[in-house]
Amino acid sequence: MDLLSNLALGFSIALSPTTLMLAVAGCFLGTVIGSLPGLGPSNGVAILIPLTFSLGLDATSALVLMTAVYYGAMYGGRISSILLNIPGDEPALMTTLDGYPMAKRGRAGDALVISGVASFVGAFLATIGLMLLAPVLARVAYLFGPAEYFALYLLAFSTLGGLASNNQAKAALASCIGLGIAMVGIDNATGMPRLTFGNLHLVDGVDFLVAIVGLFAVAEVFFFIESHGRNSSIGVKLEKVTVPVRDILASGWTMLRSSLVGFAAGVLPGAGASLGSFLAYMSEKSIAGEKSGFGTGAPKGVAAPEAGNNAAAGGALVPMLTLGVPGSGTTAVLLALLMTLNITPGPTLFADRPEVVWGLIASLLIANFVLLAMNVPMVRVFVRVLSVPPAVLLPGVTMVSFVGIYSLSGSYFDLLLMVGFGALGYVLRKLDVPTVPIILGILLGTHMENALRRAMVLSDGDPTYLFSSPIAAGLWIFAVAGFVAPMFLRRALRKPRAADA
Amino acid sequence: MASDRVFGLVVIIAALAYIAGAAQTQTSFMSDPVGSKTFPILVGSVAAVCGAVMFLRPDAGPEWPRPRALLSVAAAVAVMVAYAHGLKPLGFLIPTAVAAAILSYQITPRPAFNALAGAALSAALFVVFRYGLGLGLAPLPKGWM
Amino acid sequence: MRSPERRDFALPTDFTADEIVVDNGGGTAQPSTPTARTRSPRHDTREKNMSTTLRALAFGAVLSIGAASSATAAECIAPANPGGGWDFTCRQIGKIMHDIGAVDKPIQVTNMAGGGGGLAFGHVVNERSDDEDLIVAASQATATRLAQNAYGGMTADQVRFVGAIGADPGVIVVAADSPYRSLNDLVAAVKSNPSSISFAGGSAAGGFDHLKVLQVLKANGFDDIRSVKYIGVDGGADAITQTVGGFTTAMTGDMSEIVGFLKSGDVRALAVLTEERVPGFEDIPTAVEQGTNVVAVNWRGLYVPKNISNRAFRSWAAKLQRVADSAEWKAAMEANGLAPFTKVGDDFQNWVDGVVASTTELSKEIGVIQ
Repeated sequence: MDLLSNLALGFSIALSPTTLMLAVAGCFLGTVIGSLPGLGPSNGVAILIPLTFSLGLDATSALVLMTAVYYGAMYGGRISSILLNIPGDEPALMTTLDGYPMAKRGRAGDALVISGVASFVGAFLATIGLMLLAPVLARVAYLFGPAEYFALYLLAFSTLGGLASNNQAKAALASCIGLGIAMVGIDNATGMPRLTFGNLHLVDGVDFLVAIVGLFAVAEVFFFIESHGRNSSIGVKLEKVTVPVRDILASGWTMLRSSLVGFAAGVLPGAGASLGSFLAYMSEKSIAGEKSGFGTGAPKGVAAPEAGNNAAAGGALVPMLTLGVPGSGTTAVLLALLMTLNITPGPTLFADRPEVVWGLIASLLIANFVLLAMNVPMVRVFVRVLSVPPAVLLPGVTMVSFVGIYSLSGSYFDLLLMVGFGALGYVLRKLDVPTVPIILGILLGTHMENALRRAMVLSDGDPTYLFSSPIAAGLWIFAVAGFVAPMFLRRALRKPRAADA
Repeated sequence: MASDRVFGLVVIIAALAYIAGAAQTQTSFMSDPVGSKTFPILVGSVAAVCGAVMFLRPDAGPEWPRPRALLSVAAAVAVMVAYAHGLKPLGFLIPTAVAAAILSYQITPRPAFNALAGAALSAALFVVFRYGLGLGLAPLPKGWM
Repeated sequence: MRSPERRDFALPTDFTADEIVVDNGGGTAQPSTPTARTRSPRHDTREKNMSTTLRALAFGAVLSIGAASSATAAECIAPANPGGGWDFTCRQIGKIMHDIGAVDKPIQVTNMAGGGGGLAFGHVVNERSDDEDLIVAASQATATRLAQNAYGGMTADQVRFVGAIGADPGVIVVAADSPYRSLNDLVAAVKSNPSSISFAGGSAAGGFDHLKVLQVLKANGFDDIRSVKYIGVDGGADAITQTVGGFTTAMTGDMSEIVGFLKSGDVRALAVLTEERVPGFEDIPTAVEQGTNVVAVNWRGLYVPKNISNRAFRSWAAKLQRVADSAEWKAAMEANGLAPFTKVGDDFQNWVDGVVASTTELSKEIGVIQ
């Protein structure tokens, strides 16, 4: 079959010394970038794109380097999630939920190894999936109109609500805070500013990076100061790294299922890696049930989101390559790179430029093995950065957060906003209001609103259009069930306990 | 209990302010059936309902830190705000060293170590940002260069 | 309409790109790189947030300037996020100029998205009006927005249009399985029941893609313009996806956006909005030959700051002409569905003035502006 000859062509390109070297360099850079709090795959790729020009790389080499950075950053993101409870990048958010509790119990090494293997499984399967299914899966995008997207986003929020808090009202409130923040700034459809309350700084909206760094990094610093370093995050030490074979084997199905879920999420344009890791975590949590210890340091809770987000990263390449519709922020940047290199992504790319596509796929397969080697046996190299005393590390995290945000916008207003988000995050976490839905709201807010507006244009303002298609109706049912079910589950679980007392 | 009630009230007030703000959005010449206001108002309304639920059915209150620890957090906020304002006029090195030393002191109070940590962090980060990543940071106040 | 909020909308154009650099610091920074200039204190109160992607890219651009660490490199501002036409213009023209030796250093591309190009336009007008090492990607959309006063009162004569070297013909396409076989079928369907037909395009309502459809309908005697259903989505590819998926009836956009989908057989082009059929796409009929006298092309070109010397203006015009003549550009045009369209220097400036004037007139006629 010509899949084999295509792969042979791909490996003949990928195994050339230059390409191989670029893949390794990209993996290393990517992992470092990913593990630094606040720096994620999209920044990483964006930083390095100009480099590919000064290096004079050809199309395939440039693409190989950049996607290796992309994959590397997806791996690296988990390191600070696990050790610091600060997601290294936004898709690694879910990894904090179990990774950090595991690390607090002295199992940091195990968490890193399990998540490294899970990342490998996710990314590897996604690459295989990309190879086999890209031309077919691309058609899925055609099934999603405005109504379907609206329902999909709703599903994301409602299931996140069920996951993130013990109180549905608080979870829904968090989603609303995020969505509300996303609305601030100029409304693209009309060009009118909204909800800026006369503040010029708000005209272009609130950057989600500012919110993420504030809610996670800065809020963490406050928690740390409150407790004077007692029982807070950075007490976590990485003792010795062994391979917890039993846990890895026990998580085998989790990794496979999560890869599948993550890949599917990645294929949907606009959904991206965060949704992938989130859906993977959610579905594994519900499969494992209440007693599985999800949220308190379950190995499967580390494996699921990492397999999910790495698979989603691969999945996001599918619509980017086959439709020219980026599936995530990072793939949007990669799309720009392709255009620059005079490659037009679209349905015919696989036929027109096989050396690019298959060279890329082969390089991704190789990069995965390189990344597994870097992130499991050599993980200490990347962890060393983080194993310094809290009285140095915490101020360090603060200063890096400040300079990171400042270098992006040069705006002291953003810095104040970041500190404000830090204080908000501190209070909300005290009150058991989850902060993850806030980020999701900021990320998806305008998409969700646009989907609603487009749906209403197409239907002449008829709300029933929102659930008129089978896909949309199905997503609505899941969304409502996902929001309502935890309330009844909790009540059912609470009653016997109340009877005991 | 009290915490959730207070917070619920704050949420309701903020949500109403948000809805009022959204209602003031200018509409333009060509508007779709939904317009610029509907979605924000929807979001604000849901938030208000959530606030009401929190007010009516509060969870058990959290463990708030003792006033002294809370004061310490407030001080950290103040330091950060001052740092944000000082970064541009005073250059990178001095505000960073001072802010880092104070935060360091708040975590582990050992003055000599904290001062050293602040200075070292400031210098090391400057080298990384300036020469490693090529950011054009000004090291010192403008007049000194 | 002169409410305070309306004026706020104009203000982001005061944004300055040097805000993205913390400071010039001297030493390793290059004095001539525009992004490394010292900023004036007045900016302190005027800092603006940028879109996230722009921030990421600006960050990248800043870092790359530090990394390249060599003499003068010209800068091309793409007033949009990566992936669109302006980005393509900057990157292709920049790359070819360097490849054919028209410039010594690779041209640094900066993405400055915001206000539909207004952010970059205001930046050039207010902050860089005499920068001779600066070119900015422009297109019909720039002219449309200037004509519709979408740049907060700024006008086309505040910069100099240096040249266009290619045009992306307007197209109207339907899904391959659509019952509409010709432009006239589609127009007739809109006329009989406007709400049964919907269009998707990559520009917001009132933008060029939307205007194309309205022009076509108006040319066919359909005047109830506001009853036409149009959704502006995130780019041409998205618009096609929605159309192929059956969520909208037709897609209005540029030729470059549909090339891949044409080849794969997903869509059928009903009309191309040029005077003649486009080379390489001879089987697509023009609207003109179907009896609809509408020509709408999205030219790709550059503008430069207003106050640069005539020598610098002519130098950029000559460089652009060299790019237009290069085999590399011809190949790039072919690969991206661009039709040849070369006008440089004063010739182009006059032509743009004409386009802006006629677009203003048209926009008033269809009620987009008063």
